[in-house]
Amino acid sequence: MTLSAVAVDAGELPLGGGLLTLLRPALLRVAPGGLVAVLSRDRAARDDLQRWCQVEHHGFLGSEVVDDRGTQRHLIERGRLGVPRPEREAGLPLALQEDGHLLAATVLDQAPFPEHADPHTGFAPRGAQVEPGGPPYPVSLLDRAHVAPPDVARLYDQAVAAQWDASRDIAWSRITRLPDALEWSVGQLMTFLAENELSALYVPSKFIPRLHPHFAEVGMFLATQVADEARHIDVFLKRARVAGGSLGVSSVTTSHSLLSLLQIEDFTEAEFMLSVLGEGTFIDLLRFVERHAPDEPTFELVRRARADEARHVHFGLSHVRHALAHDAGLYGRLEQSVRRRAATMSAVGGVPTPIQDALVVLAAGGDAPDRISRGHEAFRELLHEMHDNRMHRLEHAGFSAEQARTLSELHTPNFM
Amino acid sequence: MSDAILLGAVAYDAKVVPIWEGIREHFQSEGVPMDFVLFSNYERQLELLLRGHIDIAWNTPLAHVRCKAATEGQSLSLGMRDSDRDFHAKIIVRKDAGITALAGLAGKRLAVGSRDSTQARILPLHFLREAGIDLRAVALVPFDTDVGKHGDTGTSELHVLDALRSGAVHAGAVGDLIWVLEQAAGRINPSELEVLWTTPGFDHCMFDALPTLAPDKVAAFQRALFAMRWENPTHRRLLELEGLKQWMPPREEGYASLVAALTAPDLL
Ligand SMILES: [Fe+2]
Ligand SMILES: [Fe+2]
Repeated sequence: MTLSAVAVDAGELPLGGGLLTLLRPALLRVAPGGLVAVLSRDRAARDDLQRWCQVEHHGFLGSEVVDDRGTQRHLIERGRLGVPRPEREAGLPLALQEDGHLLAATVLDQAPFPEHADPHTGFAPRGAQVEPGGPPYPVSLLDRAHVAPPDVARLYDQAVAAQWDASRDIAWSRITRLPDALEWSVGQLMTFLAENELSALYVPSKFIPRLHPHFAEVGMFLATQVADEARHIDVFLKRARVAGGSLGVSSVTTSHSLLSLLQIEDFTEAEFMLSVLGEGTFIDLLRFVERHAPDEPTFELVRRARADEARHVHFGLSHVRHALAHDAGLYGRLEQSVRRRAATMSAVGGVPTPIQDALVVLAAGGDAPDRISRGHEAFRELLHEMHDNRMHRLEHAGFSAEQARTLSELHTPNFM
Repeated sequence: MSDAILLGAVAYDAKVVPIWEGIREHFQSEGVPMDFVLFSNYERQLELLLRGHIDIAWNTPLAHVRCKAATEGQSLSLGMRDSDRDFHAKIIVRKDAGITALAGLAGKRLAVGSRDSTQARILPLHFLREAGIDLRAVALVPFDTDVGKHGDTGTSELHVLDALRSGAVHAGAVGDLIWVLEQAAGRINPSELEVLWTTPGFDHCMFDALPTLAPDKVAAFQRALFAMRWENPTHRRLLELEGLKQWMPPREEGYASLVAALTAPDLL
């Protein structure tokens, strides 16, 4: 709230010994041209205030003695050359949850995202009274519609509550070495999962510094995603090696596919490719590994990773749905982007064969010939399931059934 | 190049480069070609102004008064900072020194700044003498740092304040700008130091030119200079660096005391 006049009683405080500590905030409470009266019994105050006002470009209007103890009243006009700061926020208490928790979503409700953000506000948090004239920051994600879905703070709250520990929360001691074929299959799959997780760590990371800080909750959510992916890399590589197994093959198909993800420079396009299509399909893959897990701890670590991935997919869906609702041209751009990626990928073949073989052996529970055909059956079902679920997710993201079919069929054979 | 205004400034601080690079860019955008030359001291800058090697010199009050004298009052004054007006010097004393009036300085140690610092040496001593103080009875402790920079760097004033804080001197002379800025930054202990006396006011830096500078260059320089606005973020960065909010027209009356001080017998 801005006042037209304020009085400050500075007692005997000298300028540098407390008077300014009272005066400076008082000046912020009046508009340019507003008055602050300073009562002071410090005999140097008059000269010092006059000089200080000149340096800070406030008006020093004069002094008068107001009592017989030598108290002077100095009248200061807040400088008109000073650029007024924006109003302070209203300041309402934040509503706690019934259990006393205070959620980021509650803060976002009270201090909502702006529609557009100004790079000149720098790292000032949303709601701060930003002094105009600051330098522009090199941030390019400035539009709420293309950056910040409304439920991002809720997803951040969930993510923080759901963090787990890849060294402590898995019963590593209960994993023993598997028969060779299965041990190879697990090592190969964990290698592939970790490789994909690395891409999921790199891609969101690069968009964090491009976000305008007024959309901090988006960066905060992405930070939880990056921490999740770090844990997934950790847990999958531990699983591959814990019982003396080793890592498997990294294929050129996978490498091409993940590079094309890393090279996307548009945030919405990247969210769509990585989180809706890639991590969406990844969830189906994790569910498959979980269903055919050779032991309880492997089941548990994949289950935990899949629960994290569900949040990443949720954010991607919210992001794309929100952007589609505000941007009529977005579908066309996303389809083009998927087509471009499919074109560059068409030369590199289908699901990398080591992955295909490892999935079949895993589902077969080993390499006995009588089981392998069941494994093949399960793998073919997985591909169908991935396509069906992709279509559902795409429709959920706001695409028509027709659009969803087109996009799903173009999706990379590498899953991610 | 030849019709660009050539301005001289003294490189008293690294920030002088971005200041004048920025102001040159602003002048360019105003359609006024300008370039600058940096000097290491005001004596050389004034010498080359008088010889016509530069068009305009950004001068300290000491260099300004010398410029006026060298041109028999004919040099042109083109503008000054708002913060250059109504400077004062302060005589600061330690509270434990028992000095309650100017006469009490007799027999005490008084720290002063560089011999070419207007605000920390030349004028405070001049005004003390005018106030009837016999300086031969005061033990002057001079800090001659950055001579040639005419006190611009402020280091000799900071030495004066350090000497006061450590108790090496009883009293010290500093400009009121340093005094207020040090207080505003919370670096003065008010239970230790206080102001004994404030001198009359005087003015600080000035853009000087020879009377032979072409009138269209004078007009173009002043037009571009006074077009700088605090409200403009690009200008504001430069104005903040240079320590002003607004360029002001010139005035001469603020230099009368310095003229008098320089014509008086040697102060030290
Ligand atoms: Fe992950
Ligand atoms: Fe993920």
